Amino acid sequence: MFIDFRFNTLDPMRNQINWLLRPLEYVTLTPRLIYDWTSNYFTTRGELERENQSMKLRQSELSLLATQGELLLAENQNLRQLLELQKQLAYKTLPVEILFNPPNPISQRIVINRGSNDGLKTGNPIANDAGILGQVVRLYENSAEVSLLEDRDFAIPVQVARNGLRAAVFGTGRSSPLELRYLPVASDLEVGDILLTSGIDGTYPPGFAVAMITRIERNLEKNSSNVFCVPVAPVNRYRHALALLYEAKVDAKPAPLNSLGKPTGQAQDNPGFSSGRRQTRAKGLQ
Amino acid sequence: MIDFQSGYILRPVNRLFIYFSLFCALLLNLLPLGNNAWIPDFLVIALIFWNIHQHRLIGVIVAFSLGLLMDVHNSDLLGIHAFSYSLAAYLAVTWHRRIIALPVISQALHIAPLFLLVALCPPLTHWILSGTIYWWAIGGGVLQTVIEALLWPLATRVLLAPQRRPLHIDHTRPL
Repeated sequence: MFIDFRFNTLDPMRNQINWLLRPLEYVTLTPRLIYDWTSNYFTTRGELERENQSMKLRQSELSLLATQGELLLAENQNLRQLLELQKQLAYKTLPVEILFNPPNPISQRIVINRGSNDGLKTGNPIANDAGILGQVVRLYENSAEVSLLEDRDFAIPVQVARNGLRAAVFGTGRSSPLELRYLPVASDLEVGDILLTSGIDGTYPPGFAVAMITRIERNLEKNSSNVFCVPVAPVNRYRHALALLYEAKVDAKPAPLNSLGKPTGQAQDNPGFSSGRRQTRAKGLQ
Repeated sequence: MIDFQSGYILRPVNRLFIYFSLFCALLLNLLPLGNNAWIPDFLVIALIFWNIHQHRLIGVIVAFSLGLLMDVHNSDLLGIHAFSYSLAAYLAVTWHRRIIALPVISQALHIAPLFLLVALCPPLTHWILSGTIYWWAIGGGVLQTVIEALLWPLATRVLLAPQRRPLHIDHTRPL
């Protein structure tokens, strides 16, 4: 137990056991599959019609948004190019199926049916149509374990959608609300604010909904506030999700020089410009 | 072996049936029943049953390997279940002579501490390693123990059924 806690030396063994165990787990999933199939088969015609209609509506809305989004994306990339900011990264998605959640009440995890053979990596975010669900924490060949947002001490950097305030959301364990920690009393937060991923950690692509603030307790004496929120995506409900194969170039280390957005033409002309040092001021002000 | 409940001598046990029952209990444990703490651990019931009734065939080594399987399935630290199953199996083998002669209800009471040991091992280990204690996990473990103890008479009935069959079935038995 100690070896597994401190080191990763037992992972090959875990892989072997998992290789043995996974077929059995698939076998035990069959009752649920049969139930799903039969209940799908016996849905009434009216229900299907209603579903079809709402899907069509949704699709027309989404296609409209998509064309707009395309335009905005192109415009954004052009503007970024003009300003010589770092370009937003494109990433691929991989549809995954949620197999089951392991019967371990202490952690909140799910097992999905894609693994390293499908190009998944440790740390890849998992999302569904509403927002982020979690992150891959342990990888097997054809399956992976995903830590959910609710998992104890699961942290994700976010940004308040309304005003761009940056913070970090922490999971607090089974079925208790998420927490927004390390924020002073005076921070501009309101109940109902949507928190988006900020993308500054390089793990999550920016702009995905994570949680919504439900309760704020401001403690003036300690100059701290307890902010509780709930995940936007229904974390324990759906069977399908998307893995985002996102590999950011930026991480928490200092950004390279050309991404600072300062007039580089002037800097290149200047022979005294040392490329090894970070510039905090524009050249003209020296 | 003598059946202490009825006083009859039981049929010899079939090894294949033991392995089959352990396999079925493993499959029951793998069922996607969610991760509530109170869901009974069918594998440990079957394991301790065979530890008590057939301690020469099913011992600590089988318990250890089944525990490893459960560790991987639970995505827990590798070794928590292996350790707790082995410890429970060791205690069960040590106590088997005392327990087997009791009525089934008292057997359940005597075995409940072993179930409790297995149920409380993960939260206690997490407490030692991370310093936070999960009272709800411990409460769930206690509830799980009670459910497992209630399942013990049923397990005895099902798992001893093949050995309780009569040797000669007289179809033309005059009443």
